[in-house]
Amino acid sequence: MARVVVDPITRIEGHLRIEAVIEGGKITDAYSSGTMVRGFEKILKGRDPRDAWAFVERACGVCTTVHALASVRTVEDALKISVPKNAELIRNIMFCTQMVQDHVVHFYHLHALDWVDIVSALKADPAATSSLAQSISNWPKSSPGYFSDLQKRLKTFVDSGQLGIFANGYWGHPAYKLPPEANLMAVAHYLEALEWQKEIVKVHTIFGGKNPHPNYLVGGVPCSINLEDVNAINTERLNHVGKLIKDAMTFVNQVYIPDLMAIAGFYKDWGAIGGGLRNYMAYGDLPTAGYNQPESFKFPRGAILDRNLNEVYDVNGRDGEEIKEYISHSWYKYTVGDEKGLHPWNGETEFNFTGPKPPFEQLDVEGKYSWLKTPRWKDHPMEVGPLARVLVAYARGNAEVKEVVTETLAKLAVPVDALFSTLGRTAARGLETKLVVNWLKGFYDDLLANIKSGQVSTFTREKWDPSTWPAECEGVGMTEAPRGALAHWIRIKDGKIDNYQLVVPSTWNASPRDAKGQRSAYEESLVGTPVANSEQPVEILRTIHSFDPCLACAVH
Amino acid sequence: MAQKVQSMAGVRAQPRIHAYDRVYVWELPVRNYHWINVLCLMFLIPTGYIIGNPQAVFSANEPYQQYWFGIVRFTHFASGMVFFFNFLFRIYWGFVGNRFAKWNNYILMKKAQWRKLIEVFSVDILQLKLTRPMGRGHNPLAALSYFVFFLISMFQAATGLALYASMSSWWFPKLFTWIVPLMGGDMAVRQWHHMAMWGSIIFIVFHVYIVFYHDYVEGRGTTSGMISGWEFERKEDE
Amino acid sequence: MNGRSPTIWQAMQARGYTRRDFLQFCTVAATLSGIQLSGLGKVVHAFETKSRPPVVWLHFQECTCCSESFIRSSHPIVADILLDYLSLDYTETLQAAAGHQAEKSYHDTITKYPGQYILLVEGSVPMKDDGAYCMIGGRSAEQILREAAKDAAAVIAWGSCASNGCIQSANPNPTNATPIHKIISKPVINVPGCPPIADVMTGVVAHLLVFGRAPELDSQGRPKEFYSRRVHDTCYRRPFYDAGLFVESWDDDAARQGYCLYKMGCRGPTTYNACSVTKWNGGLSYPIQSGHGCIGCSEAGFWDNGPFYQHLPAFPGFGIESTADTIGALAGAAALGGVAAHLVLTNVRKRQLINIDKKAGGVAAPEEKEGGDQ
Ligand code: HEM
Ligand code: HEM
Ligand code: NFV
Ligand code: SF4
Ligand code: SF4
Ligand code: F3S
Ligand SMILES: [Mg+2]
Repeated sequence: MARVVVDPITRIEGHLRIEAVIEGGKITDAYSSGTMVRGFEKILKGRDPRDAWAFVERACGVCTTVHALASVRTVEDALKISVPKNAELIRNIMFCTQMVQDHVVHFYHLHALDWVDIVSALKADPAATSSLAQSISNWPKSSPGYFSDLQKRLKTFVDSGQLGIFANGYWGHPAYKLPPEANLMAVAHYLEALEWQKEIVKVHTIFGGKNPHPNYLVGGVPCSINLEDVNAINTERLNHVGKLIKDAMTFVNQVYIPDLMAIAGFYKDWGAIGGGLRNYMAYGDLPTAGYNQPESFKFPRGAILDRNLNEVYDVNGRDGEEIKEYISHSWYKYTVGDEKGLHPWNGETEFNFTGPKPPFEQLDVEGKYSWLKTPRWKDHPMEVGPLARVLVAYARGNAEVKEVVTETLAKLAVPVDALFSTLGRTAARGLETKLVVNWLKGFYDDLLANIKSGQVSTFTREKWDPSTWPAECEGVGMTEAPRGALAHWIRIKDGKIDNYQLVVPSTWNASPRDAKGQRSAYEESLVGTPVANSEQPVEILRTIHSFDPCLACAVH
Repeated sequence: MAQKVQSMAGVRAQPRIHAYDRVYVWELPVRNYHWINVLCLMFLIPTGYIIGNPQAVFSANEPYQQYWFGIVRFTHFASGMVFFFNFLFRIYWGFVGNRFAKWNNYILMKKAQWRKLIEVFSVDILQLKLTRPMGRGHNPLAALSYFVFFLISMFQAATGLALYASMSSWWFPKLFTWIVPLMGGDMAVRQWHHMAMWGSIIFIVFHVYIVFYHDYVEGRGTTSGMISGWEFERKEDE
Repeated sequence: MNGRSPTIWQAMQARGYTRRDFLQFCTVAATLSGIQLSGLGKVVHAFETKSRPPVVWLHFQECTCCSESFIRSSHPIVADILLDYLSLDYTETLQAAAGHQAEKSYHDTITKYPGQYILLVEGSVPMKDDGAYCMIGGRSAEQILREAAKDAAAVIAWGSCASNGCIQSANPNPTNATPIHKIISKPVINVPGCPPIADVMTGVVAHLLVFGRAPELDSQGRPKEFYSRRVHDTCYRRPFYDAGLFVESWDDDAARQGYCLYKMGCRGPTTYNACSVTKWNGGLSYPIQSGHGCIGCSEAGFWDNGPFYQHLPAFPGFGIESTADTIGALAGAAALGGVAAHLVLTNVRKRQLINIDKKAGGVAAPEEKEGGDQ
């Protein structure tokens, strides 16, 4: 029995530590620990609710904007504000932009090196690489000359003896199965994606002034629309957005999806590894008729238990019995006792570090061992994220989702069960990106149509002034972040934040076990994963990366 | 300077029958300081307030048609500069001026000054007694209020110049830039600069009132004193 | 150059610098790092023989948006930085290796290149409870920072977190989050902003590499090249400000014509950053251009200068919407009230004194005579 510690887990956001117990070449138990905390929920107390979005947005710069969106919705929910149509559309456009960019960056820059051996790319035949690339996509940058130039550049780089970010990777590990040509193609797209991702975020820059961390506004969006002025969102700005969206569709459909399918084809065995939990949950998002009409969402809301796709349960953020956070294994204390769960409206954030004093070798996993709290839905551990979203939509009978899922499974020639796996997670992320980039175009067209019909309002003034607020109120704002179901809960008292709690997708997935000892998604998914060489645990990275961890989010 | 004290006993002073001494208290530089200072504040307070709370006026115009906010700010900075150098001069005069202008009037360090202060407070403010003997120059309570005002002046000048430094390429305001990080950034400096404006407003309310009070109740010619330099004292108080 | 990317020395030769310039550059790099002149030989050697300076990028209490911003750089693009400019040997966000292998990359760099690697730090360091609030590989952020800074040739603090503590140091600063310049004794180049502009970040690194010296810094350690002006000084809405034309309410007619956002709480007048000139994401826009005021994200302590939507911050302890004016007006009213009360009191209590001169042949009241103490 060996205890393998991977800390830091890299190519993620934040500080994650995995301790795994390996017996007979397989993981038999695992512990996931978030090792950094900032105390957002304490810092927010007493502040102006209208400022909260700016604070919580800083929970994470990778999924930047999603917390801001959750926050303005939370405050609007508490104050009963509904935003104008243009604001809804612009928020949806920002949402889709974020998700597309984040998923592509995850695939190429955070996940790909688990599957792609960059050193092997040096052995590739550029001409063969070119025909491979042309056989899967009509992306123009696929000539033999293009690949051979790249290979030369790569060779110079490797020969310099300074491998930089590629130093000490598990290159040559038998778990890498791509032919050199596929590796070279992937390296090319790694660099292209790096360049492209900075373009698509310009949609945020246009509507929100900057990226990362664009601006939001309670009651609407801060950018005004005016087709008769150069100082507002006008035709030039809208054209720019249109162009960025068009390029994004091209990149996703001609680069990301073909690469994903090509790589997945070599790793079908991972369709049976890393499934983990049997429960999935999505809050749903992309309203088309207001935030209070979840039926109108592009991504439906719901929960699936025990992988039963024939039944979808409703999820209610207001019900004190549905969503609760536990801290039995987290470095916090509750006034009601550490074994109890608290609904976020009554949530408490009181630090109570009981771990070993650094430097240390191992955590005390019997006691508290993480800065993440442990959220539960009706006391079930739930997996959230792209896979959960796709499954909930599939189970809800969403036609668009059903179509891409069926098509993909057929192409890869794998059964539906393959979805419940590491590969399934990674594939689901690609599939939804394909849908989302189309929806992005749709929302853009809707925005143009709405402006054409004469509607330019982007903000509702009604409840801006705190003197119009009730003395006390509470709200919940739900959204789907790239990594899954995200919600914020607020209690406002006398115009100030009385309590503010974030329950974040990575909190659901990466949390330590609960009071009953049930594992959360990361820990559960690792159990059963084979590890060929415990000195080079690339398998752990594959499964953990398939969730796209974000620990700054998870702990906040 | 006792030679400047003239007896008015022989002069026909009708219908009063009090004998008055006429005392030269406020030298010209002090009077100049005072009225320049008043004038500056008449500009600084309204313009400062407007800088903090600009009103929506002429809002139908185009920016190239007007510059009113710029003018308000310019007025503030210009009067701020005058205010600052005027104040510097007053500090200098506190060392070379007559005994009424000396700095030791304002920084109360003698026991007698504090005793007197308590007396003034109980007679003029609490009005526990009808009258008290009058002295020449500032009474200690007034002097204390001026001292506080001098501190405010110093603070306003320092914070104002620190803020001004970033809008100016002149070396002089740059001497004050160290204040910004000390106070925690430009925002904090603005906040306190703005707050201190209210300090000076409150001083002015009390000050102007009490000056008139002394004339009204005691008939001392306090008000005109700051114009002419002369104050009156009843002989029998001596 | 036999197919390899040029070394710094070669690059400088190509640009016409002399050997003397080069040595000068090495001296500055050495001074900057606070290493003794005896260490200069190493620096010269490193830049002469290494094609790309080794770089360690540490992550502490942060949101990774500084890294995210960095990869948005448009000139140079980040692929070129990674392949041609720097050898980014350790960065948790992008590096292939994890766990022990990642730590090996870090140790290799700091032990093989003492006095020669550039240290980039993203995030603040929690100084409370032995650093339990940020631990990597079982060590505290503080332990790692001290070790990494010891032999670094230059230290850059990315973003407001590392430069001034940013959000986690906002009241009540639950973890005692501390900016790095307060922990290490070396000079630190602070590049504040939440996050800093991508092209500013690469600009600062390029300044070190291309001009061979640290950019000139202001009293807060910020490169003057990017932080010497307020957002307000070069804001394109400035003419509206000077003309007194302000947005009065979100999305009003003034907002739709791009009037000045001062009254909506814009912090441009008190914020030093390059936003209004360099702008964001390839010069496309910046907060104000897209309709929201500046929140002052590059200023120390800006989180505690809220609420963001009013010109002056709230007054501590006086409720969320209270400004200096609320307090001032109250105090002013109290002063006026006091004066009025005093006036009434005077007219009652001192009637006798006031009337005295009006009476024909008025004589001082008896009490008056008792008073004299002078
Ligand atoms: C007693 C004297 C003064 C008073 C009552 C006063 C008052 C004010 C007020 C209320 C503000 C607006 C602050 C805000 O809300 O943003 C202001 C701004 C300012 N004051 Fe003064 N001030 C005084 C003296 C000075 C002096 C001596 C200077 C030095 C030149 C000065 C320079 C400034 C500057 C530079 C600003 C910022 C203006 C801007 O950024 O547009 N002030 N003042
Ligand atoms: C903006 C308004 C004013 C300010 C800031 C102000 C300030 C001052 C200061 C600082 C002094 C002390 C002078 C020194 O010792 O150098 C003073 C004294 C004096 N001021 Fe003013 N003043 C103001 C308005 C007035 C007005 C309107 C009057 C009456 C017409 C007045 C009459 C006097 C007199 C008579 C003294 C000397 C009185 C004494 O010794 O208590 N002041 N004032
Ligand atoms: N987990 C998480 Fe986030 C996301 N997606 C937020 O809600 O990454 Ni930074
Ligand atoms: S400075 Fe701001 S943007 Fe950068 S890591 Fe810190 S919170 Fe994120
Ligand atoms: S919008 Fe802000 S930065 Fe621009 S001029 Fe107005 S106050 Fe200054
Ligand atoms: S909020 Fe930050 S991004 Fe620039 S305009 Fe203000 S400094
Ligand atoms: Mg939470």
